[in-house]
Amino acid sequence: MNELIKKLAGAFGPAGSEEGIRSLIREEVEKVCDEVFVDDLGSLVAVKWGNAKKNILVAAHMDEIGFMVTFIDKNGFLRFTNIGGVLKNTLVGSRVVFSNGVTGVIGREKIEDGKEPGLNRLYIDIGARSREEASARVKIGDSSAFLAPVSLEGHRVISKALDDRIGCYVLIETLKSLPASLPCTLHFVFTVQEELGLRGARPVAYRLQPHFGLAVDVTRTGDTPEPDYKMNVSLGKGPAVKIKDSSIICHPQVVEMLVRTAEKEGIPYQMEVLERGGTDAGAIHLSREGVPTGGLSIPCRYIHTAGEMVDLDDVQNSIRLLAALFAENW
Amino acid sequence: MPGAAGRRAGCRAIPVKALKLEEEHSVSVNPREAFILELQDFLMEITQKDGVCGYESGIAAVIESAFSPFVDSARKDNLGNLIFFKRGKREDAPRVLLAAHMDEIGLIITRVEEGGFLRFTSLGGFDVRVLPGQEVTVYGSETVHGVVGFKPPHLIREEKKGKVVKMEELFIDTGLPEKELRDVVLPGAIAALKRDFITLQHRCRAGKAMDDRAGVAVLWQCIRELHNIHHEANVYLVATVQEEVGVRGAVVAAFGLSPDVGIAVDVCHGDIPGAQEHEVSSLGKGPAITSGPNIHPRIAERLLATASDYNLPYQKDFSPGPTGTDARAIQVSLEGIPTGLLSVPLRYMHTTVELVDMDDIKAAGRLLAYFVTGLDSDFMETLKCS
Repeated sequence: MNELIKKLAGAFGPAGSEEGIRSLIREEVEKVCDEVFVDDLGSLVAVKWGNAKKNILVAAHMDEIGFMVTFIDKNGFLRFTNIGGVLKNTLVGSRVVFSNGVTGVIGREKIEDGKEPGLNRLYIDIGARSREEASARVKIGDSSAFLAPVSLEGHRVISKALDDRIGCYVLIETLKSLPASLPCTLHFVFTVQEELGLRGARPVAYRLQPHFGLAVDVTRTGDTPEPDYKMNVSLGKGPAVKIKDSSIICHPQVVEMLVRTAEKEGIPYQMEVLERGGTDAGAIHLSREGVPTGGLSIPCRYIHTAGEMVDLDDVQNSIRLLAALFAENW
Repeated sequence: MPGAAGRRAGCRAIPVKALKLEEEHSVSVNPREAFILELQDFLMEITQKDGVCGYESGIAAVIESAFSPFVDSARKDNLGNLIFFKRGKREDAPRVLLAAHMDEIGLIITRVEEGGFLRFTSLGGFDVRVLPGQEVTVYGSETVHGVVGFKPPHLIREEKKGKVVKMEELFIDTGLPEKELRDVVLPGAIAALKRDFITLQHRCRAGKAMDDRAGVAVLWQCIRELHNIHHEANVYLVATVQEEVGVRGAVVAAFGLSPDVGIAVDVCHGDIPGAQEHEVSSLGKGPAITSGPNIHPRIAERLLATASDYNLPYQKDFSPGPTGTDARAIQVSLEGIPTGLLSVPLRYMHTTVELVDMDDIKAAGRLLAYFVTGLDSDFMETLKCS
């Protein structure tokens, strides 16, 4: 099992509470880049200086979806709201963990007239016997995230938060594999609050004013029994070159850069047309006077559940593709 | 504000050259007719070209060549917005942005299916009811001609009969066998609907992408008028990209140009049977001038006053929220930009038979030109909230 993937995916970091995952990533990148800084909203930027004036922004978000406590009832049950796009019909029985290590399980009130109840009918049970006992362990406004093991089955990893810690992993490993001298200056950005509407990428793109932007994130697949969307993307068939998602129509030039690099290096790739969901690319391309931006996606099943799955071949091929991409002077 | 009324009246005075407008454009036939014929040619040309959201370079080339004779410079920004500049008489005069979007809604291929059929989703909001039976152009490694097909009623199961078809039940049939199709078309390829310009009776014209090529035609009419009128203001005319997927082009264009005033030119719903009076504007009765929170009240007032001063037909429109137009993006750019909205009434929005009245386009273009001539520092003073 790859220890770094295990550490990254297992780390706590719901949107807005990225301190832990940030220091973990910082430790990894500090040794291999020229400069590291954190912007005012908390995104981490690792800089590799290049020879040419060109400046490329590559983003992967380090936040994950989660649950925020809104109310503690007299029996010690916690009501909560969503942090990002949680899927209410996959939650019951899921374990959650708070930043202080308190764990709990999600329960549900009885179902009436067969309708799937809303989030307001679910609760977190942290084993407290009263409001007082619960309040001693968590407060209103505290965030929690899925608690789930990271496991390896053959070539595939199952874990929570692979969206987008696997993207963070790809960025870190790409950084490690880059030569000392580069044509373009690279800003590897580990963004905050992507799951709440691309909030971290927006100010960081404004600040860095890149010539090109690229978001490295996960995408859905269409290779499971009767999928929601008959997408043309499968696990294990290579990284996906994004054409569009609901936040961006990728710049044809950036699409071309990715496809050409993959072809040249003989790296398998797929074309991604994502009908639902946005990425940091959406925020980057609308920054200032506009930034030509694209996306490289790692195919992932069961996104936004406690058991997301990616294929390590796709991960390795993403790293190879990015390393080759950044070796060119675009 | 003391004296404001007097200053306003002064700055609306008709520039001497403007009075000669009809004369300068007149030819041997009725000048009104001659003017319209040219405008119609332009509209025909731009509504028969493809320019799906995110893929506007083809339509941009046509627009650029038509605008170029009348402007000082033309350039494209990073997202492909086509930006024309026409210098005013004073360098320190207000800078105005006139925006109409050149993108059209279209389709994007999601999968190539067994048997040689293409599945797709939409770029921008198509009404799925109008898609079956349409002709399309698919931009693969080669351009492929196709039609949108679906199961005929005879083969639809009883319980599904009469139900509105879903996008995922539709497909594009190009006639190519599967293997050859896979060589030419990859997922991610763009498809545009195909429809010839239709000359209907009276002054009505129909076709695809009138939303918002009719607005681009308004800008073209405006720049031709401005060619012959004295104006102080510096004018940026922008054919924006990606409006149909969330006013994206206007976001970066407004930031890049940082104008003092912005006007979006788009289309609004025309009068049709079954629609309520307050939801629509009448075809042939002039452009609609919008008021509402997305619009600076002084800009709307000035557009209304200009129309009435020059005897141009117009209609009033009110939009309670952020309008679904470039005005939405322009208003909240940078430190905030006083914004207006001018709309050409159009029937059957987001179909391939979008129908407009040539007179409305012409009147809108003129109104915009006269509005520009009235932009001076006195007017800019009135925009400040006090």
